[in-house]
Amino acid sequence: MSRAGKIARRTFLIGSAAIAGGVAFGVYMVSRDPENPLSRDLGSDEVTFNPWVRITPEKITLITPHADIGQGVVHAQAALIAEEMDLDLGQFETSFGPPSPAYWNTAMAVEGAPFRSDDDGLVAEATRSFLGGVFKILGFQGTGGSSSIPDSYVKLREAGATARETLKAAASAEHGIPAADLTTKSGHVILPDGTAIPYTALADRAATIEPVTGVPLRDPSQWRLIGQSMPRIDMVAKSTGTQTFGIDLTIDGMVYAAPRVNPNRGPLNGYDDIEARAMRGVKDIVPVTNGIAVIADNTWRAQQAADAVTVDWGTGPYPPEQEDHWKEVAASFTEDRLDREWRNDGDVEATAAAQPIMAEYRAGYAAHQPLEPINAIIRVTDDAVEVWSAHQFPRFVQQIVGGVTGHDAEQVIFYNQFGGGSFGHRLEFENLKLAAEIANQMRGTPVKLTFSREEDFAHDFPRQIGMARGKGTVLNGRIESMDIQIATTSAARSQFSRLGLSMPGPDGQIVSGVWNAPYMLPNYRVRAYAVPELAPVSSWRSVGAVTAAFFGESFLDELIHAAGADPLEERLRLADTPRAAAVLEAVGEMSGWGRDPGENRGLGVALVESFGTMTAEAIEVENTERGIRILNVWAAAEVGTVIDPVNFENHVQGGVVWGLGHAMNCEITYSGGVAQQTNFHAHEGMRLYQCPNIEVRGIELSDRVHGIGEPPVPPAAPALANAIYAATGQRIREMPMHHHIDFA
Amino acid sequence: MKLTVNGQQHEVDVEDDMPLLWVLRDELGYTGTKYGCGIAQCGACTVHLDGEAVRSCQVPAAYADGAEIVTIEGLGTPDAPHPVQQAWIETQVAQCGYCQSGQIMQAAWLLETNSAPTDEEIDRVMSGNLCRCGTYPRIRAAVKAAAQKMQEA
Amino acid sequence: MRRTLIALALTVPATLALAAETQLDDTLLPEGSVSEQDGLAAWDRIHEVLSHPRCSNCHVGEDNIPLWTATASGQARDHGMNIHGGDSRIGAEYLPCSSCHLTTDLPNSIPHAPPHAGLDWQLAPLEFQWTGKTSAEICAQLADPDRNGGRDLEGLVEHITHDVSENGFIAWGFAPGAGREPAPYDVQSHLDDFKAWGAAGMPCAPG
Repeated sequence: MSRAGKIARRTFLIGSAAIAGGVAFGVYMVSRDPENPLSRDLGSDEVTFNPWVRITPEKITLITPHADIGQGVVHAQAALIAEEMDLDLGQFETSFGPPSPAYWNTAMAVEGAPFRSDDDGLVAEATRSFLGGVFKILGFQGTGGSSSIPDSYVKLREAGATARETLKAAASAEHGIPAADLTTKSGHVILPDGTAIPYTALADRAATIEPVTGVPLRDPSQWRLIGQSMPRIDMVAKSTGTQTFGIDLTIDGMVYAAPRVNPNRGPLNGYDDIEARAMRGVKDIVPVTNGIAVIADNTWRAQQAADAVTVDWGTGPYPPEQEDHWKEVAASFTEDRLDREWRNDGDVEATAAAQPIMAEYRAGYAAHQPLEPINAIIRVTDDAVEVWSAHQFPRFVQQIVGGVTGHDAEQVIFYNQFGGGSFGHRLEFENLKLAAEIANQMRGTPVKLTFSREEDFAHDFPRQIGMARGKGTVLNGRIESMDIQIATTSAARSQFSRLGLSMPGPDGQIVSGVWNAPYMLPNYRVRAYAVPELAPVSSWRSVGAVTAAFFGESFLDELIHAAGADPLEERLRLADTPRAAAVLEAVGEMSGWGRDPGENRGLGVALVESFGTMTAEAIEVENTERGIRILNVWAAAEVGTVIDPVNFENHVQGGVVWGLGHAMNCEITYSGGVAQQTNFHAHEGMRLYQCPNIEVRGIELSDRVHGIGEPPVPPAAPALANAIYAATGQRIREMPMHHHIDFA
Repeated sequence: MKLTVNGQQHEVDVEDDMPLLWVLRDELGYTGTKYGCGIAQCGACTVHLDGEAVRSCQVPAAYADGAEIVTIEGLGTPDAPHPVQQAWIETQVAQCGYCQSGQIMQAAWLLETNSAPTDEEIDRVMSGNLCRCGTYPRIRAAVKAAAQKMQEA
Repeated sequence: MRRTLIALALTVPATLALAAETQLDDTLLPEGSVSEQDGLAAWDRIHEVLSHPRCSNCHVGEDNIPLWTATASGQARDHGMNIHGGDSRIGAEYLPCSSCHLTTDLPNSIPHAPPHAGLDWQLAPLEFQWTGKTSAEICAQLADPDRNGGRDLEGLVEHITHDVSENGFIAWGFAPGAGREPAPYDVQSHLDDFKAWGAAGMPCAPG
């Protein structure tokens, strides 16, 4: 409680004085809702009931403020509103809406609170409530931490219910029939005589009525959409090449820019652009922070010319060679770098078993690299800045771009776009800062900045680097103790520092999934060590849990094997919550656990809670002549409520592919301060032929709804390592695993 | 140089070595064809050139002179999707969708040359197309669904 | 920066190689004019070339799976993306080589892009497999017209000069561009080694 309070208050104070004022009047600020941004430019015959619904005589627009980076959350948000509003899919348009404090994320802070998700004790709940209030005051609009559905689940249904009842009230007023006698269906208010009035025809009347609030939500048994497989509303566009992404947009008078920025993040000492300036289509070459950008009449010409500039790079801020990064990590298991002792059950020092089992693990940097390279279009005028790009923090986009161009955040108009993937990449601002710098040097002209894949790799902020040291004992066929130390760099601290903020207090992500492992071990200690920043790092799909859980669930498996126990049975015996047991039992049943998989085959399992979601995965591999082949994955996740089973399945499969592909063969290493992996040839991820059969089950036990964007990732790597051990007897203790074993 | 894109003739004045990808995207506005890597590692830029599926980032403009190009926009439209696109829609393959133009163009070529591909053949033809979101299980299912559709048609 | 310099440095030799091709000296040496010892030494240099990844990666066996050396490790391994040349050895049954490897005389200038040549990209015929074979085995194979495409010495020399005149794979192997490590020596000395090895009676060291 006190820790969370401290974090929040310090964050505000650093963030802005005005916000610090908000804390002083916390209760007032928290109870007051921010202004509805849709009411700003409303015509007299148009109506908005809340920040998510806008109706004009022509159309209905649902605002889906969470960024859609492939997770289908535009659809999910719209479906939640449409469910209560009695709209059919296809009867409305969607819009990301303007950045606004009205779209503060109610769930991100909750899932980020340092409590196990099934801890509903006073302290946990009070902290969640407090952090929720903090995010509201901050107007913290963000997509991340697998929080979009938890954030939207109640409030968007309420928004739909309010809209529906207000439209009924409007029809009631217009026709003199009590609202109680009216019903709604498929975008119409139905009068008792069967007359159907389209919502759009009621817009002007509804605009004169105070929105009806406090409408009770429908019982799930009445749902038409939620829980069903729905045709996702972006599928047609995404299957016909008609979905535009930021990289596809054109604005009248637009020029094309390509960056060339110091890949070791040091300064640009000097450059020679005489040859590049003479190249066809080149309009200008301008300086930007640590580099240059070429302005041309075409993306390719700009890229070619950027490559033709001769540059003299200065040295960067972190150790140039990878080996030195590892040395720093290895040197971080010290008292003064102890970030926090997160768990200390029993006494790991006072064990009876004589012979401890010890192991060291490590996980290298890995890149985000969504398939759409980062890009942005920006037009700067004296009065305003317009920005077209895909981003997960719209209001920070306003602040940061305005900071570059010298405008107030309110003068920055941000048009969010569908993102061609993110995995954490679109939480960063490199493309926006650069595009703003360029556009500010040519005010009035829209500038489209596109990173080449090579520039994107070079300037990606990778996943944290880390190591773990495990020590444990077994006695009488059971684990007696497990003592794990995890040292990584901190994605959160690195990200905060780029926002000009500092994150006081420990970073729970370093040990995410391990400190809160749902096991009742007699003696269990988890200590996190903070490695000082080396290469700047960022949130990478599932953040700390992807490395921590690889360490924790692999080492636990080592101890289980040492005890002579069964990996699934032993986890079930140790499981201390019904949710954990449920997902373990599910994958046990799905995989036919206990059967003899046959020669050269093996099964492994892992269980991780991250972002509030409990996920178990079982994996079957075969050791073939050409290497390890992943045959089957069975995944079960407990999320409270599955909004759409098809999208859920697709997402879990995607998370598994992400987790496995990177665990197999992806890393970023530095030499001369420069990432040595410059394109997908050296950072391949999983390809279709390597993709196993992936069977998915959603489990609905909790009252709270949880996200599914990230939680399928962390169990994948340890389940794979555990399966490889079962098939081969070889224990893989490093990601990427291809340093130790081939994959077929 | 002249090229035909989706049945429409275009004349462009570009360097011999400008990749077809950028001719399509920046000169002609066919943005359904995506830039992902520029080195034929991702397949997002796959188009049909005189009936063959090729990575347009590797096709110099001079090579495409006089060629017939089909892009994702020419394969089918939202109102009249190609059977492969229809299968993609029904199977709900896409997540972010950025790679799917290339996946669909590659799959359409596969089914034109092999109406009933085996799992092994699908794995060998479709593994040059990278999907960072991991929609591979659905891509496999959609290719099979499309094969079924095309055989029935 | 590295990328630019490489591009500049290596595109130029690639075009020069083209220009140089017509000036290859393919005059055969009189039979017996080279000692067996010198012939064996010439073979060793030939083998250095043939076993270099630029050359051997596409002279694979009956699994029809090309090798590549694209990854950071620099080790030759199975071509990524599950590429399979099929019995056609041009990928016709699956994904054709030409999906990515275009046939063009333009220089290879983009690092890690699929290389291209003036001939259609393909695996060498199965009887020309070099991977997994010893120097002596490859030597015997090349000396045997039943296993070298029915070529005598003149045929082998002509094979090289023809390839170079088409800006083909041998030319590419010596000037692969885009930062790739070229095969050792150069086309002319490779040709000279063939001539010397032939004039010495195509000797192969035992074993």
